[in-house]
Amino acid sequence: MEAIVGSANVPRRPRTRFGAAVRSLLRSADLLRALTEADLRFRYGRGPGRFLRWLLEPFALVGIYLLFVTFVLDRSGPAPGLSLACAIVPFQLVMSTVANAMEAVDIRKPILLNMRFERKLIPLSSTLTESTAFSASFLIVVVMMAAYHVAPTLALLWLPLVVLVNLYLAAAAAYAATLLGLWLHELKPFLLSFVRMLFFLGPGIVPLAAASANSQEILRFNPLTGMFEAYRDVFLNGVAPAPWELLYPFGIATAVLFAFVPLYGSEQRQFAKVV
Amino acid sequence: MISVEGVGVRFYFDRHLKVVTAAAARLRPHGSTKWGVRGVSFESPGGEGIALIGPSGSGKTTMLRLLAQVYWPDEGRVVVRGRVASLLSIDAGLLALLSGRENAMLLGVLGGLSRRGSRRALESVRERSRLGDAFEQPVSTYSQGMRARLGFAVAEETESQVLLLDEVHEALDHEFRAIVEQRARALVEAGGVVVASGHDHQMLERLCTRAIHLDTGSVRNDGPFKEVQQAYLAAVDAATDASATW
Repeated sequence: MEAIVGSANVPRRPRTRFGAAVRSLLRSADLLRALTEADLRFRYGRGPGRFLRWLLEPFALVGIYLLFVTFVLDRSGPAPGLSLACAIVPFQLVMSTVANAMEAVDIRKPILLNMRFERKLIPLSSTLTESTAFSASFLIVVVMMAAYHVAPTLALLWLPLVVLVNLYLAAAAAYAATLLGLWLHELKPFLLSFVRMLFFLGPGIVPLAAASANSQEILRFNPLTGMFEAYRDVFLNGVAPAPWELLYPFGIATAVLFAFVPLYGSEQRQFAKVV
Repeated sequence: MISVEGVGVRFYFDRHLKVVTAAAARLRPHGSTKWGVRGVSFESPGGEGIALIGPSGSGKTTMLRLLAQVYWPDEGRVVVRGRVASLLSIDAGLLALLSGRENAMLLGVLGGLSRRGSRRALESVRERSRLGDAFEQPVSTYSQGMRARLGFAVAEETESQVLLLDEVHEALDHEFRAIVEQRARALVEAGGVVVASGHDHQMLERLCTRAIHLDTGSVRNDGPFKEVQQAYLAAVDAATDASATW
């Protein structure tokens, strides 16, 4: 299908391929930002209430698990609160992005039924929406570092790369979740439980080193294991993340994108029929 | 400006008769398929209004969604040259929890404006839509007419060459209907195309000189509005008489 803008009262088409590519990129960026802003307001409302929610949610989660680790498991270890926060922050990004992406097509039903737009941006918009809350949740890491007197080190320079891999993993999960949310509508709670389970099938509550040697080998298959450990290295251990901690989640995310993006490309044509 | 060649749109259903995507249909056996429209062809060089008429379920909305590129054809080809503005759903493409302003911003960008352009157009949209203070309120508090007014006001800002209207205009009050008709006529005079569907034939006649009668997803008649409308109404009368006799 073809839609060609060819009139004097709309901007002229660029003369070169490079110009066309730049224009298309700028248009996609505008669209992505508009979709994300609308999604943020739709999901989190407006005003200070939403910032408060973003800030408090990780504290509530860490609080629950901290009690669990300290009193139930009786395995306090070094700075358990900070260690937990290092797992909860990256996990929350993946979890909330998956939850968002599963509903992303449904909540956009009015616009999907009314006009054409680049639907490939929907999962990216889910990722960006949740990464806003994710950035607010870093406050808990700062608070925990202060509470446990853990001073920042040069390892913090690795943080941008760790965050990028985390975002890449969340975006890949978003493409899969958007399609699975459409295909297996009735299984959404089960799919979310599966993602939640990955927190416990990884070194979420206690660090990888605290697990037995056999368990460690198995836990490494979980792509979130590398992420949790990378955040711990940067904030808690003060060392550079081990290469596998970033390369393994990156590889899994790339494989998921390879599998799901082409599928998404063909399925997006049917979105308006099924919403 | 519009070229539709042997177009068909197929819907896939699972065994519970829920519409699913083609890939999902392959995963779920015992489903069925149905063509929403099939073998539809027509052309418009521009400078005309086309009414799609026919009973409910005849494929009017499917055809408009094809022209808006909301649906992709499963067979055939659709070419639309020019920027398209569309009001195709009863909620006019608006997200209920967002305010009129926020929706206008989003729809402007989706409609082809840059973010800056869309932001610049907000006051104009507010004025054109005549929503007053309601522009800042969530769209969930709007009546259907208010939604249609906002949707149309945004569509106007995108300076489109093709305008698609699916019954939405029928929710408008008389004053705003006159505005829609005036703008649609101006677009046609400028060489654009208006494609409208609905059951208010008087309004359609004022907007369109040509009509296409769709029946069970196929073109039954295509020609001057009055002729096609009369043939359609005669067919409706004949069907009503037949069922009354039965």
